[in-house]
Amino acid sequence: MNHIDLELERLKSKLMDMWDLVEYQLQSGHEAMLKADHELAAKVVKLGRKVNNYDVKIDSMCENLLALYTPVAVDLRLILATLKINANLERIGDTAEGISMFVQQQERPFLPELLEKTNTYAMFTEAIAMFADCRKAYKASNTELARTVIKRDKMLNKIYRKSDDVVAAYLQIYPESIKECLALLSIIKKVERVGDQITNIAEEIIFYRDAKVVKHKSKKKKKANGNDNSENA
Amino acid sequence: MSKKNYKLEAKSLNAYYGNFHALKDINIAMEEKAVTAFIGPSGCGKSTFLRTLNRMNDYIDGFRVEGEILLDNRDIYGKDVRVDELRKEVGMVFQKPNPFPKTIFENVVYGLRIQGIKDKRVLAETAETSLRQTALWDEVKDKLDKSALALSGGQQQRLCIARALAISPSVILMDEPTSALDPISTAKIEELIYELKKDYTIVIVTHNMQQAGRVSDQTAFFYMGELVEFSKTKIMFTSPKHERTQNYITGRFG
Amino acid sequence: MTNSELNRLKDKAFQGFGIFCTLIGLVVLAIFLLNILIDGLGRIDWNFLNNLPSRRAERAGIYTAWIGTLWVLVLSSLIAFPLGISAGIYLEEYGKKNRLASFLEVNISNLAGVPSIIYGLLGLEIFARMMALGGSLLAGSLTLALLVLPIIIVTTRESIKAVPRSIRDASYALGASKWQTTWYQVLPASFGGILTGVILALSRAVGEAAPLIVIGALAYVPFAPSSPMDEFTVLPIQIFNWISRPQAAFATNAAAAIIILLFITFMLNGIAVYLRNKWQKKVKW
Repeated sequence: MNHIDLELERLKSKLMDMWDLVEYQLQSGHEAMLKADHELAAKVVKLGRKVNNYDVKIDSMCENLLALYTPVAVDLRLILATLKINANLERIGDTAEGISMFVQQQERPFLPELLEKTNTYAMFTEAIAMFADCRKAYKASNTELARTVIKRDKMLNKIYRKSDDVVAAYLQIYPESIKECLALLSIIKKVERVGDQITNIAEEIIFYRDAKVVKHKSKKKKKANGNDNSENA
Repeated sequence: MSKKNYKLEAKSLNAYYGNFHALKDINIAMEEKAVTAFIGPSGCGKSTFLRTLNRMNDYIDGFRVEGEILLDNRDIYGKDVRVDELRKEVGMVFQKPNPFPKTIFENVVYGLRIQGIKDKRVLAETAETSLRQTALWDEVKDKLDKSALALSGGQQQRLCIARALAISPSVILMDEPTSALDPISTAKIEELIYELKKDYTIVIVTHNMQQAGRVSDQTAFFYMGELVEFSKTKIMFTSPKHERTQNYITGRFG
Repeated sequence: MTNSELNRLKDKAFQGFGIFCTLIGLVVLAIFLLNILIDGLGRIDWNFLNNLPSRRAERAGIYTAWIGTLWVLVLSSLIAFPLGISAGIYLEEYGKKNRLASFLEVNISNLAGVPSIIYGLLGLEIFARMMALGGSLLAGSLTLALLVLPIIIVTTRESIKAVPRSIRDASYALGASKWQTTWYQVLPASFGGILTGVILALSRAVGEAAPLIVIGALAYVPFAPSSPMDEFTVLPIQIFNWISRPQAAFATNAAAAIIILLFITFMLNGIAVYLRNKWQKKVKW
């Protein structure tokens, strides 16, 4: 096996290790939220340190690879993508920590009715599933899978946009649970962020494999649709 | 802290060509089974230093050395050291592939022949081992009795490495071993260096900074006969200590 | 006329002049060869090669002369070859580059230009008289060896110098000594050049008459030499002898002998060219 390939393989497997950790944080954060499990939440927060270490390590590995091997083409894209995926993973880990911190302030689990109405459970489960699929896509370099992951983010956004109204309606009935509701709103916002970050990661996977920039495209496309012909001519 | 045992060490080494002070007070310690790269602009003394490590400069009129070079803690410029014994321990590969105008087989076993080894089996076995080590065996096993000059440049250079390995040295010096080769052959040699460092201590002079980055564990930067900086390659290529090193490796020299 | 046209004209003019100069040499040589061939070719037969010299032109042969030439050729190469090559190797590989070396160098070049008659006198004094070899084959061969020695030394040095530094480096780096490097690498690689030089030097020596006359080679030897101590004659002396006779028949003999001598020289040159080409093909750096 080629020497640089070995190094890239090491980098990839390091990133996968970090990915596993973050995935565990996210799942545990979810579980802790459902059960108001303070112990588990504390564990998630504690894991943050380890994730940060990975973050620093992967950054320096990328730095060394760039400095020592002057990679080009697919190798270069892999390292650039890994750098960004690394940053996004770290953010997702932070988010899971943030959720856990809210959980630690919760005295009891969220009311099932509230979770039901806001679709929080579905949203969180979907985010975790997307995250897992994204990992698969990275590992197998499957850009098709990465593209579907990007599309699934719309569902999270929809739930997030509705959540304000849902919670407002709920508060009119149960004004005493204002604190609980605010916490849940924050968590929903955080999960929505997680969805965005997973999307970013998926975009980096596509960039790495297909050398195509897909981020920031969707909006432009709608705007530029009318001008397409003239541009191509 | 225990004192580390280094494979090769230079202590207050000064070298002169006549009146020209070519190496100025070099202190450096190279680890065993690692690749050390020497970089620096032309005429900075890196090649001179490399050639003092197996005393190849002895034949140059007016060349003289002060200080010590220790190989396994023994001064190679000491009175009791025989140059031919030293060179069995410290092999060398040159800038331009320089096979002898002989057959491939004779090239590989030349070092043994001049030691007076005649046993055909020993010669044949050594030739095969060395050629396998350089990943050349499969390419040349059917034409061992053909002229080495018929090989491609990259193959010739690997043959020269095999020739050096045949006398089982522990250190291999490489003086810009890929500067005359195309990129593919260069990549092969670099892979080979990566493999060889498992068993050998390698010192390589290179003009190609990227090559130093790819193959070496430690890098020494020479400038005007002085050793400016010596550190782990990773450190030198990401955060060099000296301004001059930074300017050189970023290509902003002079 | 513009400047560039003028330049082109000058160019053409010089080209024409160059062709003229080259032709002078070639034409003269061609006329000479043709003349000799017309005169002498008819005279060459088996008897001419096998007969001993005789007072009667039509019975005279060059047997003793060409056997003598052959002897001299072999003996002087046996003497000059090892001496010249060893000296060349020493000067190029071992000798320190100091003032003595450059003094030797200049003088060896000078020796190559010393007139051959002076070598003859040297040979007469040292070999013929002091070593009491008289007018023997050995004395003659030694003298001729001396004559070609500087040329052999110079060509040996040139050929050795042409062996790239990298080959020596490779050999030294593998632990070879200077002698091993010279013997296994430098000499084989430069041998073609050395041999070419030696043969060319010998082909010059074959044509020499003057130094041999000085040391006492005879014009008339009624037997072919069979040992280095025998008296001898060589082709050039035989030719010189015949040419100086008044009878026209001897002039024809001389022409025939010249053809044989030229044949030997051309053959030696041919061998030299062949060797050079062969070695150049074998050794590419």
